[in-house]
Amino acid sequence: MYEFNGIAIFFILGLGLPISALIGSHILSPKKSSPQKYLTYECGLDTRGETWVQFKICYFLYALVFLVFDVETIFLYPWAVTFKQLGTFAFVEMFIFIAILIIGFVYAWKEGALEWF
Amino acid sequence: MEFPILSMIFLAPILGVLLILFTSEDDHETIKMIAVIVTSISLVLSLYVFLAYDRSVGGLQFVEKVSWVKEFGINYYVGVDGISIPMVLLTSIVIFCGVFASWRKEKRVKEFFIWLLVLVAGVFGVFIAQDLFVFYIFFELAAIPMYLLIGIWGSTRKEYAAMKLTLYLLLGSVILVIAIIATYLKAGIGTYSIPELASVSYSPGFQKFGFFLMLFGFGFLVPMWPLYKWSPDGHVAAPTAVSMLHAGVLMKLGAYGIIRVAINFFPMGAAHWSTLIAILCLANVAYGAMVAMAQTDLKFVIGFSSVSHMGYVLLGVAALNIISINGAVTQMFAHGIMTALFFTLIGWVYNQAHTREIAAFGGLAKKMPRIAIGFMIAGLASLGLPGLSGFVAEFQVFVGSFKYNQPVAIVAIFGVVITAVYVLRVIRKVFFGEFNERWSDLEDATGVDFIPIAVLVGVIVFVGLIPAPLVNLINNGVVPLMTKVTTSIGGGF
Amino acid sequence: MNLALIMPELMVTGLAFIVLAIALLIPRNQQKNLGYITLVGLLGVLINTFIYSDGDQQLFNNMFIVDSYAVFFKVLFIIASILVVLAAIRYVERISERQGEFYVLVLFATLGMMILASAGDLITFYLGLELMTIACYILTAYHRGNKKSSEAGIKYLILGALSSAILLYGLSIIYGLTGTTTMIIIAKTVNQIGMNPVFLVANIFILCGLAFKISAVPFHMWAPDVYEGAPTPIAAFLAVASKTAGFAVLIRFFLYLMPEVSASWITLLGIIAGLTMVLGNLVAIPQTNIKRLLAYSGIAHAGYLLLGVLAFSKDGVMAVLFYLAIYLFANIGAFMTAGCFVNSTGSNQIKDYAGLSRRSPFLAIAMLLSLLSLAGIPPLAGFVGKFYLFTSIIAKEHYLLAFIAVIMNTVSVYYYLQVVRMMYFKEAESNEKIIISNPVKLVLTLTMTATLFLGIYPGPVTSIANQVAINFF
Repeated sequence: MYEFNGIAIFFILGLGLPISALIGSHILSPKKSSPQKYLTYECGLDTRGETWVQFKICYFLYALVFLVFDVETIFLYPWAVTFKQLGTFAFVEMFIFIAILIIGFVYAWKEGALEWF
Repeated sequence: MEFPILSMIFLAPILGVLLILFTSEDDHETIKMIAVIVTSISLVLSLYVFLAYDRSVGGLQFVEKVSWVKEFGINYYVGVDGISIPMVLLTSIVIFCGVFASWRKEKRVKEFFIWLLVLVAGVFGVFIAQDLFVFYIFFELAAIPMYLLIGIWGSTRKEYAAMKLTLYLLLGSVILVIAIIATYLKAGIGTYSIPELASVSYSPGFQKFGFFLMLFGFGFLVPMWPLYKWSPDGHVAAPTAVSMLHAGVLMKLGAYGIIRVAINFFPMGAAHWSTLIAILCLANVAYGAMVAMAQTDLKFVIGFSSVSHMGYVLLGVAALNIISINGAVTQMFAHGIMTALFFTLIGWVYNQAHTREIAAFGGLAKKMPRIAIGFMIAGLASLGLPGLSGFVAEFQVFVGSFKYNQPVAIVAIFGVVITAVYVLRVIRKVFFGEFNERWSDLEDATGVDFIPIAVLVGVIVFVGLIPAPLVNLINNGVVPLMTKVTTSIGGGF
Repeated sequence: MNLALIMPELMVTGLAFIVLAIALLIPRNQQKNLGYITLVGLLGVLINTFIYSDGDQQLFNNMFIVDSYAVFFKVLFIIASILVVLAAIRYVERISERQGEFYVLVLFATLGMMILASAGDLITFYLGLELMTIACYILTAYHRGNKKSSEAGIKYLILGALSSAILLYGLSIIYGLTGTTTMIIIAKTVNQIGMNPVFLVANIFILCGLAFKISAVPFHMWAPDVYEGAPTPIAAFLAVASKTAGFAVLIRFFLYLMPEVSASWITLLGIIAGLTMVLGNLVAIPQTNIKRLLAYSGIAHAGYLLLGVLAFSKDGVMAVLFYLAIYLFANIGAFMTAGCFVNSTGSNQIKDYAGLSRRSPFLAIAMLLSLLSLAGIPPLAGFVGKFYLFTSIIAKEHYLLAFIAVIMNTVSVYYYLQVVRMMYFKEAESNEKIIISNPVKLVLTLTMTATLFLGIYPGPVTSIANQVAINFF
């Protein structure tokens, strides 16, 4: 049971430090509010037009496609350093893997996931 | 392989269903003809079984056994003996008359006859089943067609009555299914066949538990007080043929189940709980009769009277000796016929008058002499007048219960007096007395509509005057059962 | 390395990619044909699956098991997807422009389920689970522009992701205790370790995750909303295939992995089963939307099926397997009738079903038989299934649960009969014809025949289920 001591301490500290930091700053901060402090942030400038704009889906789709191919790359690394020992089967198999992902890529391309607007 | 008569008896209605499915909805004549033909087939076959049953040999005859689900030892196992044959005969007579009683139906005729035939197939199946699983399937099969029949073609508060009836019946069934499964597991012989399960000797504790569960489950259908509440509403709301089946046959399923299954398997349990059954049956008899006296709707009178008469069956069960069980089975048959007759007659009157209030009628005998005579005979049978079938049954029940417990028997016999009061009163008020001019254009039953009345009256009178064939057959079936019971309990009552 | 063992999965994957590729190439208005291609492909997979019906073989170092249990479930999944795709061909046209992806997603969901049933390793199992659920999330929200569909999708996604996370945590605790993720080795190690309180903790977490999938109380909240919002064929798919997959895992987990520490999960399952049956049936009574009614009925059925699992015997497993097979047909019948009805009339309200027996006798009978089978009325298949389930728990003397089950079963008859009442007793408000497309007619005929046939002659399927259960034990 005592193996978990370290984790317990880690847990308490991890919980306690941010909470105390937040509480501390809340207590110690000067409370002077002015209307300007509640304005929407726009890099220091005044806002123009509606601030609640529609989320641009293109960011999300790019991130999604990036994520998939990034993970594919991660899988490629260990294969790349050992494929000589693993033989023909591993070689062909990795190409099948990449082919599957390319089909997905072609699908995303054709369906306009990579269009930026 | 010999001709599977018993399967034919229950398959004939199914054949009728299939034929009717392919008939056009507007062709009422063909539909009714099909229904008549298949029910006649069942009637003829059950008469044949009644006559061809070999009384000297006894036991189960016309047996058919086909393996169905091997893993659980479930077989399609049917057979009849002295107790089942009267029930099968009763069902076929009642449905035969029921089809004629529905001759004038106009609304959604095709579906009506389909559901009616499905219902009757289920009921036939219960009476011929010798395997608990098959028994239970057919037992449950009867519930949903009742729901549809009452809910669509019924009268007074039909949807409420239909739902109430279905829920009560299904509740009884599920308690029964637990009892059945527990019995199967306790017996440990890996089969559901009734004769084999009956030959297992269960522990006294399990017998009491099992019998109580089965009593509770079957009790919903008997109907045993206090589980009877679905019955009067169901009787009143149902259309004529369905009422006939309901009171005439469906209610016998419960008592049949108690005798065939519960007492058969758990004789010690039956002996243990017999006091409870006796007390409850008195409640049936007395309460049913007295409430019947207070009713103003004809069908309610007969509904409560049915509850009351089934009390005599329960009394026979409680007394647990040969004569009383004989009486119980005879009463099931006699009451079934008599109540079917009552409902046919009331149905005819309602069809024309569109009311069933007793107070609204008077002196109908002037316009409908045949109906009046039919009603008189049914009423006299119900109060047990010698010469009619009711007497044969009730006499045996009273003799048997007298042996068992005199005070109970005496109270039950007084029930007859109360029955006489309300039956005769109703007959006087409706058929005799001042003629109410409102009913000047009522017609009497003739031709096709007269057939069911004639058949049923005929049976009542025949059994009343010559009871021997029926009673001997029943005795044939009851004796082996009761011998087993008395040896298990070690001495009878 | 016998690749022929995973041929069904490979075929499904190949089929999915082919359909995807074709979906990219052919114009919008011919996409319906993809449905037929999918069908043919799935039939081929079904035939292939039957080839390895017995024998206990494994692949990839026990990460992938092919035994009769897995094959039984794969057959069920493929039949479910065939029926769903058949019924959805006309439906999808109405709800979205993108039809090709629908079939691809159904195929991927099926693939996930097949992997799930064959999983021999905790990670493989999780992989299959996630593949199935993610495809299902998308399918739930497939109806473009329909608020209810999107709401259902989001609810399903968030709750599903949460419960998957909890499940994974439970799996990791098991890994921590036994030091391996391969199920066979875990089973042996659990036997050696014996009863340990941490197993209870792990079981609770795993049960949380799995109970979500099978919509058991108290993890059932997603089911009514998701079933109501999802396109009806997908609701059917979820109700049938997803629940079957959940049970495949449940049985595999608790009876295969942990037979020795049964004390840690039988009581848990018992409590959950009791609560599920009671709540599922009682809350179904006031429902006015047919899909929500069917969702709550599905919740109640999860309770009945759990009874079979906690019976912890060959009979229990056999009962669950048999019941899942017939539940498939009854539920698909009910949902597809509702789908056909909503396609024609646009309404899911029960009161709009009034007089259906006159407007469309075929639909009314299909619904009647499906509902009565779900209610457990003979001579339909549902009765036999419930009979087996009750036998298995009474054999283990869990009388209280048996009584709760039968009484709640009677309650369920009430709300099923309400629908029957609407269809048969009431007069129709309008007399428009209801158009039933041919594929849907075929599906409904198949389900009705199966329900009646299995009810009257349950012998063959019972034998198969029994064989599988014996092999499993």
